[in-house]
Amino acid sequence: MGTMGLALPWKARISSVPRERGTRVEPSEHFVGGPNLAAEDAQSEDAALAAACRSGDLRAYERLYEIHGARMKNLARNLLGNPVDAEDAVQETFLKVHRSIAGFRGQSSFVTWTYRILINTCYDARRSRLRKKEVANEDSEESPGFEPRAPGAHPTLRMALERALAKLTQHQRDVFLLYEVEGFRHAEIAGMLEMTETASKNTLFQAKKSLRQMLEPPRGSAAEAR
Amino acid sequence: MNVTCSDRDRIFEDGTTGEWAALEVHAASCPVCKEEVRAWKSLSVAAKELRDYSESPSFWPRIERALAEEATKKAQRAGLRRWFSFLPEISLGWQTALAGALVLILTVSGGWILHRQRFVEPNPDDQSLLKSKALKEVESAETAYERAIDKLAAEAKPQLDNPATPLLANYHEKLLVLDSAIADLRAQAGLNPSNAQLRYQLLAMYQEKQRTLEEVLEARQR
Repeated sequence: MGTMGLALPWKARISSVPRERGTRVEPSEHFVGGPNLAAEDAQSEDAALAAACRSGDLRAYERLYEIHGARMKNLARNLLGNPVDAEDAVQETFLKVHRSIAGFRGQSSFVTWTYRILINTCYDARRSRLRKKEVANEDSEESPGFEPRAPGAHPTLRMALERALAKLTQHQRDVFLLYEVEGFRHAEIAGMLEMTETASKNTLFQAKKSLRQMLEPPRGSAAEAR
Repeated sequence: MNVTCSDRDRIFEDGTTGEWAALEVHAASCPVCKEEVRAWKSLSVAAKELRDYSESPSFWPRIERALAEEATKKAQRAGLRRWFSFLPEISLGWQTALAGALVLILTVSGGWILHRQRFVEPNPDDQSLLKSKALKEVESAETAYERAIDKLAAEAKPQLDNPATPLLANYHEKLLVLDSAIADLRAQAGLNPSNAQLRYQLLAMYQEKQRTLEEVLEARQR
């Protein structure tokens, strides 16, 4: 993907580096210093990106892709189970954003709104896939069939996690993926999934409890004794 | 801050930084909490296995193409909308309601007009009724002509059957030709009774036949 190389008014204010939260472990919701400034910066960046997209400038969409494309595709892949469907869903999301941006009133952040569209597009794709499966009289297993991806450090752990995630409820899976994998805050997840922040925290807690039960080997008597 | 094992789940769900630090301190001396904290954190670490932010160079050009096509379609739609720019900007719901109301008005109006046409008294000023009336008048005039001509023909028949002079023989031949033309025109007028041109020609033929028969009778008197 080429760089834009153009002096867009919002370019200087938006970081081209996706937010990296790779080392995040609990708790992550509490800013260390200057939370108001950070929030204001993020808001103005978000509004500038929304305005640029609303003006129909394709470079703004390219910027959106630069910042969020990889994360959107990763989320879609984890929700749909394969990279082909994930790319289709991300492309459809960009088209939906382009079609509906005039109706975006800024009640939520633009990025949150975009991810909400992506998640709904993934749900639609999954439903459509299930219907096709039913029509074809194939196996109508609800969990997405995960395809092999780029080899990670622990392929066995990843596969076990994917299988366990497939057994969670839809909301638990979504919250876990958004929080633990994509690094969104509960406030952002609440906006994307149209739930309260407290509900998001509780859903994540329930998801992790279930995952732990599924993934951890039963504790031996020695551990119990301790 | 002091925490106990009973605080663990609450901190897992919604603990502050301080509470987490206190839990870590507590876990150092509590094997059960130590194991729980380790397992809890290991899930977050394992979740990173589901991250794959690898670049796919052909993906953005694909989206860009789709967006460009979408922008073209949008521009075309906007051009179409400009044709209706005289309409006030109203929401889709209102547009639907107005369209429905328009369809209803047209349906009711159409039904009312049809109903009126079926049951209303014929209007004497109506052009279509005048046309059929004129046709009847023409037909009755033709019948009158035919009767008058038949009377004249009956009177002139002796001279015409045995023409005494070459002039009468010529009249006889002329009348035969006129009869043939009249028969032909009547057949055509029967197929297309509203054709005014045919009616004029037929009338002209009748007039010519009448004039010819009158000349035959005058020739007899001379």
